[in-house]
Amino acid sequence: MKIKITFWRVIALLILLAGLYATFLRFTRGLGAVTNLSDQFPWGLWIGFDVLVGVGLAAGGFTIAAIVHIFNIETYESISRPTLLTAFLGYLLVATAIMFDIGQPHRIWHPIIMWNPHSVMFEVAWCVTLYLTVLALEFSPIVFEKFNLNVPLKVMRTIYLPLVILGVLLSMLHQSSLGTVYVIVPDKLYGLWYSPMLPIFFFISAISVGLAMTIFESFLSYRAFGKRLELNILVGLARVLVVILAVYLILKFQDLRLRGNLPLVFQLTEESVLFWGEIGLGVFLPMILLFIPQVRVKRAGLFFSALLVIMGFILNRLNVSITGMLHNETYFPKWTEVAITLSFVTVGFIVFALAVKYLDIFPTEEIDPHNPPPLEQIGLSGRVILGMWGVVLAGFIIYGLAKDNRLEHPVEAAAIERKTDPLRELEFTNLPADIVYDKSDMGTVTFSHETHLLLVDNPQCQPCHPKLYDYNITPKQQTPLVGDVMHESQSCGHCHNGTMAFSIEEECTLCHVE
Amino acid sequence: MHPQSNSEGYAILTDLTKCIGCEACVQACKTINELPPAEHPSKLSATTWTYIDRREGVNIRRQCLHCLDPACASVCPVAALHKTETGAVIYDFNRCIGCRYCLLACPFEIPKYEWDKALPRVQKCILCYEKRVSKGEEPACTAICPTGATLFGKRNELLDVARQRIKDHPEIYVNHIYGVAEAGGTSVLYLSDVPFEQLGFKTAQTTPYPQLTWNILRHIPTVVSVGGVGMLGTWWIIHRRMLIEKVNNGELSEEEAFGKRGETP
Repeated sequence: MKIKITFWRVIALLILLAGLYATFLRFTRGLGAVTNLSDQFPWGLWIGFDVLVGVGLAAGGFTIAAIVHIFNIETYESISRPTLLTAFLGYLLVATAIMFDIGQPHRIWHPIIMWNPHSVMFEVAWCVTLYLTVLALEFSPIVFEKFNLNVPLKVMRTIYLPLVILGVLLSMLHQSSLGTVYVIVPDKLYGLWYSPMLPIFFFISAISVGLAMTIFESFLSYRAFGKRLELNILVGLARVLVVILAVYLILKFQDLRLRGNLPLVFQLTEESVLFWGEIGLGVFLPMILLFIPQVRVKRAGLFFSALLVIMGFILNRLNVSITGMLHNETYFPKWTEVAITLSFVTVGFIVFALAVKYLDIFPTEEIDPHNPPPLEQIGLSGRVILGMWGVVLAGFIIYGLAKDNRLEHPVEAAAIERKTDPLRELEFTNLPADIVYDKSDMGTVTFSHETHLLLVDNPQCQPCHPKLYDYNITPKQQTPLVGDVMHESQSCGHCHNGTMAFSIEEECTLCHVE
Repeated sequence: MHPQSNSEGYAILTDLTKCIGCEACVQACKTINELPPAEHPSKLSATTWTYIDRREGVNIRRQCLHCLDPACASVCPVAALHKTETGAVIYDFNRCIGCRYCLLACPFEIPKYEWDKALPRVQKCILCYEKRVSKGEEPACTAICPTGATLFGKRNELLDVARQRIKDHPEIYVNHIYGVAEAGGTSVLYLSDVPFEQLGFKTAQTTPYPQLTWNILRHIPTVVSVGGVGMLGTWWIIHRRMLIEKVNNGELSEEEAFGKRGETP
């Protein structure tokens, strides 16, 4: 078999090579070496994109499953397989991405036996694990078919409905819970995004992006593999999408208003620009476009609008996880983080293509080879999208790089006025006991913290601690040190040199008591 | 949820009017926890669990506040962090998967990560739980403090001490004990002669942070049961209507559609 070299294949190869090298670095040198994460900014691109966006983009699986199997709308059956494939693939990639992000990937199974039901993350871990299993089962008939395994096929048919319901329930839980994850950081997440309603926003936006992804995939498969395009089905989804986007928009603005954060929307800040990128270009515009019948029924219009929804969704998740959490912190992903994320996307595309090729994913009818799909139709809108999102991306990058000036304006410290001065009114209530040196035949020497502090005008600990002597909770009461060692500059002699305190050469009896 | 919601358990009271910034506590902490030494550390890190934050003459000893209802412990998916009866919030590395949700969730930004290690740990003050407090000794930092600026004791007793100090010297102290209510109450308390906001203390909410997420999580059983029944019901109704429609259209016989026992359409 000869593999044709195309532009996209070369790009994919380069990405995968970079990703492979980054992976090697990740698992040999640790997170610090391959990410720009820090104690101040512990979650970055891998959580924001690979996990939050990844789980969302795979939401088509449960949305379409619910439409087809629960609402019994059989016309959508023909697109249920590609969405199932995307979901299964998506969750596999998310699970792998989590292995990259957590510090102890070999312990990824811990939440299964080590419980903490109060943790959102615990719930998400359980849901994702179970849902991945459900997806594998839901997907299995496609593989059984391929190999004509009739018995397991029959078993699967009997348990299919409960399985679908379980899958939808699990999706409802974890799609929303990914939003709940951020409900515990009211002081850290910016007002445009923080809300106790986050789980609801995450859930609704997951449904909308699930529908948009279904439209998007159908178009890609149509262009790339010449698969039949069921326009009337997709137009039906688009109508649902309009309603869901509208509901989202209303809830979002109502929430901002009730929480008193509406003014933030109209201030010109990096955050508000990205908010408008997300809401204006990613929710409002596609809602209007899809509402217009002339746009909705055209391939280009449909595809363009779906793409807007997807981009808006991606921006939303990145805004919640990165933009909204930045404030005074600094974070911009390192090349290795980007390389690994891009590798996940690339692997996703490749496996999807292979599955479409070797499994029965799309309806079998193919397009007449003599009458290929008109490829140029989406050319113009593609360029428009690229332009628009180029601007938003540039904004994102500038925002990330503009860290220096953001660090300039933290709290203008009010002049601090003290009511007391601990150094003036010293009280040493917890000084160690006296240290007695009596091993020498020169007489007993007693070191008293109290005397040393009281005899000095401006008492401090620094001359001796911790350079000469460690602070020790249980100070040695005896010391084997004898004779001249004590006189040297490493010990008493450090201060008793005639300038800081009387010299060891004179006044012997002041210390050496008979 | 609230292993420590009463005022029992131990605590630390740090009185900023008595701290001379000698760093004995910082060094003692480093020694007992076998952390690499550092001269005048200026922030918390995986290897510095307490430090002196110097702000225009005020010395503020920063450390984990050991919340009564800690956000870090509540978010941990594997319960690697937990509040003990002594008051200490401690960490079990053997459970930790390294998700760093604790770093994100802590309102005081206390837990730190060993970013440069291949198998990194979360690090923070554990109130000398293993080495001293569980053996009935006070933590290294309070034991060594020469001025008694940082004290160890029962939380309710330390609160009494703090209230008495404010009462005795209202001209010196700000009338607020930081940690009495912040984040639902903490086991590390502060007294100050300068308003806390000016010293970089977070004005944290007074309801415990874990309640924010628990208010949502506790609805899960309802969502699951109502959702499950709702979906099954939806399927049941729609499916039956479709069968009836098929029977009426003559596509299926009644027996094929509803079985022998039959259910009149």
